[in-house]
Amino acid sequence: MKNSWIIAKREFWERIGNRNFRWMLFLGPLTFLLLLLWLFKAGDEGKKHLKVLIADPVDLLEQKIVANEGKAVSYYFIGDYLEIEEFRDGDKYKEFDALIEVNEKVLMNKKVFVFHREQPSFDVKTQLKFQLERRVEEVLIESFTNLSVDVFRQIKQPLNVDFRNVYDPKNEASNTEGYVGLTFGLLILSFVFLFGMAILRSTAKEKSNRIVEVILASVQPKDLMLGKIIGIGLAALVQMAVWSLFIGVGLWGFRAFLFPDLFAPENWEGIQVSGEVQQQMLEETLRGRYNAFVELVYERIQFASMLGHTVLFFIASYLFYGAFFSSIGAMSGTESDGQQFVLPLLGLMGIAVYCGFMAIYLPESSLVAWAQFVPFTSPLVVLVKVAKGYPVGTYYYVILALIIQLLSAWVLLWVAGRIYKNGILRFGHQTKWKHWFQWVRN
Amino acid sequence: MLEIKELSKSFNRKTALDNVSFTVPEGQIFGLLGPNGAGKTTLIRIINRIIQQDQGNVFLNGKLLTEKHLQQIGYLPEERGLYRSMRVIDHLIFLGQLRNLSRSDARKNAQLWLDKWEIGDWANRQIESLSKGMAQKVQFIAAVLHDPDLIILDEPLSGFDPVNVGLILNALKTMKSEGRTIMLSTHNMKSVEDLCDRAALIYRSQKIAEDTIWNLREQQKAGEYSIRFKGNMIAFANALWTGFELVEKSEIGPERFIATVKMRGEKSINDLLEALMHQIHIEAVEERFPSMQDVFIQLVKGKEVSHEE
Repeated sequence: MKNSWIIAKREFWERIGNRNFRWMLFLGPLTFLLLLLWLFKAGDEGKKHLKVLIADPVDLLEQKIVANEGKAVSYYFIGDYLEIEEFRDGDKYKEFDALIEVNEKVLMNKKVFVFHREQPSFDVKTQLKFQLERRVEEVLIESFTNLSVDVFRQIKQPLNVDFRNVYDPKNEASNTEGYVGLTFGLLILSFVFLFGMAILRSTAKEKSNRIVEVILASVQPKDLMLGKIIGIGLAALVQMAVWSLFIGVGLWGFRAFLFPDLFAPENWEGIQVSGEVQQQMLEETLRGRYNAFVELVYERIQFASMLGHTVLFFIASYLFYGAFFSSIGAMSGTESDGQQFVLPLLGLMGIAVYCGFMAIYLPESSLVAWAQFVPFTSPLVVLVKVAKGYPVGTYYYVILALIIQLLSAWVLLWVAGRIYKNGILRFGHQTKWKHWFQWVRN
Repeated sequence: MLEIKELSKSFNRKTALDNVSFTVPEGQIFGLLGPNGAGKTTLIRIINRIIQQDQGNVFLNGKLLTEKHLQQIGYLPEERGLYRSMRVIDHLIFLGQLRNLSRSDARKNAQLWLDKWEIGDWANRQIESLSKGMAQKVQFIAAVLHDPDLIILDEPLSGFDPVNVGLILNALKTMKSEGRTIMLSTHNMKSVEDLCDRAALIYRSQKIAEDTIWNLREQQKAGEYSIRFKGNMIAFANALWTGFELVEKSEIGPERFIATVKMRGEKSINDLLEALMHQIHIEAVEERFPSMQDVFIQLVKGKEVSHEE
């Protein structure tokens, strides 16, 4: 084991000393943060302020939309019909960003067109839609009922039939959280694949440059294999830790400096609502108004729990898949030869991803129930289920899945050790599957 | 020192070693000879515990060889590599540590060897920047860095230029004088003659000869003598008559020759000298011993003939 540690240290420092690895320590999280920023901002693209001209020849809206206009949308009225071409080309209309046509038909067919020059942001669109809907609703109430606005809106609320899991009556878990789990699971698989390939390449390289015989004169093949797996795994953990740190700092920075008022509804100007009904309407609209991705990242991901589970299942999966990668490296006759044998592993990883999706959409299915304990699929399925929340009293499933994966990794490492012992000194041969079985038996 | 006892090894029904036994005495240089594919590398790998034998045992200083004995063995394989991205000193420290040296001892020994060979300034150089000859020196140092009692070298001279061959041979002689035991597997028969005290010849998985170098050559000698003389060649040939056979002759000057003569029947060197001394002026006489190259070829050919029969 002492020799394994010496080899692990060499492998670790070789990777840390590699310029590309060091660049990726920073470029990886930077790329991720830029992607996040793009996703955060994706819902906020387009024109931030809209000057809207409402052509209302029958004075349906009585020249008002909301009591206090916000900064996002300003409304102006014209008491006549206005052709689109005239609005588009007429000099006096150049200052307006959009034209809304309102006439008596609106009350019947509930259809309004907003002709804009430049695409408004999602934020502005939602606000305009919300304000116009409310105003037309008020006109409808006034024209066709004797009810107060409050009473009408209370009656208008549709019956909300909400399907909920008996183990999750508050609907705390959702598909969105499931996708978070899937993302963390995919992160595990990506790291396992990338660093598993590093094991394969390192093994094949040592074979091809023949240093392996010098090493094997001092070290048992299984110790060499373990050292390699541990060293490369430690480098992977360092990368994971640095990425987590940078991404964490980046997310804090985004929140502190880029959108500090994100979840402060009082900053949402322009909507003057009061009372329980309005509050309910407001909350429903909030989901649409704010970028759901931002809300997900800052409010709904349990980072500490997800990171903890990710690290644990990464270690178990890495050891499990690492055994495969190292045995493929030891089997291969040339440096490039072994890479074709990675395809079946990719297939297994593909099945794991499928099971991860199944865990999102059919969490109670028997496939998912089994897949959470199968070592190939458990990192994805367990992470999805952890993100969605395991029902009370069933957390031991996670521990069981982890133990099964660690035990499977131990068995596979033993098998890989045998292949390593028999295959590591064979050079230049054509790699065949029969070698795998032959060398396990010998 | 090292005793190989009835070693056998097969790979998928192909026999690589068949009941091979021999002893390498302490403080000697032992040549392990044999054509390609004879089983030498398999034998060396078994001694280094890189692969396991099917049958037989290896003893070091009378004790069954175990993993802990590997610290006493230095090994330079025929196909040796280096980590190209490492610095020379880091590479040597790494291999020294694997041979149970502390980091500081490994560094100290590595620097000592580098300085001894006047290549101390290579220590911080990247291995990929070294020439083939330079890399081979580093490989040799890596094999002996931990001060082993038994040094096993598989084709240590292959690829070296004549200057570096001299360097390695001197290093081996020095190590022998320090009491270390060296096992040398090589096709360079000249170096076997110059260096080795004993040798074993492996052929088709079996040991076909083992003895001191002198005895091996003695066993294969053909009873031929080389005579340098002044005089008439016809007179020389006539003097030989029926008791001796003139194998070859060459003129080295006016009326000066070197001739090779083979004894016939029970004739001795005294009989030859008696027959010649009144006919020519003898300058020198030497018994002709076969070179190790000849010994090797004769032994292998002899085995091939018996194998075909």
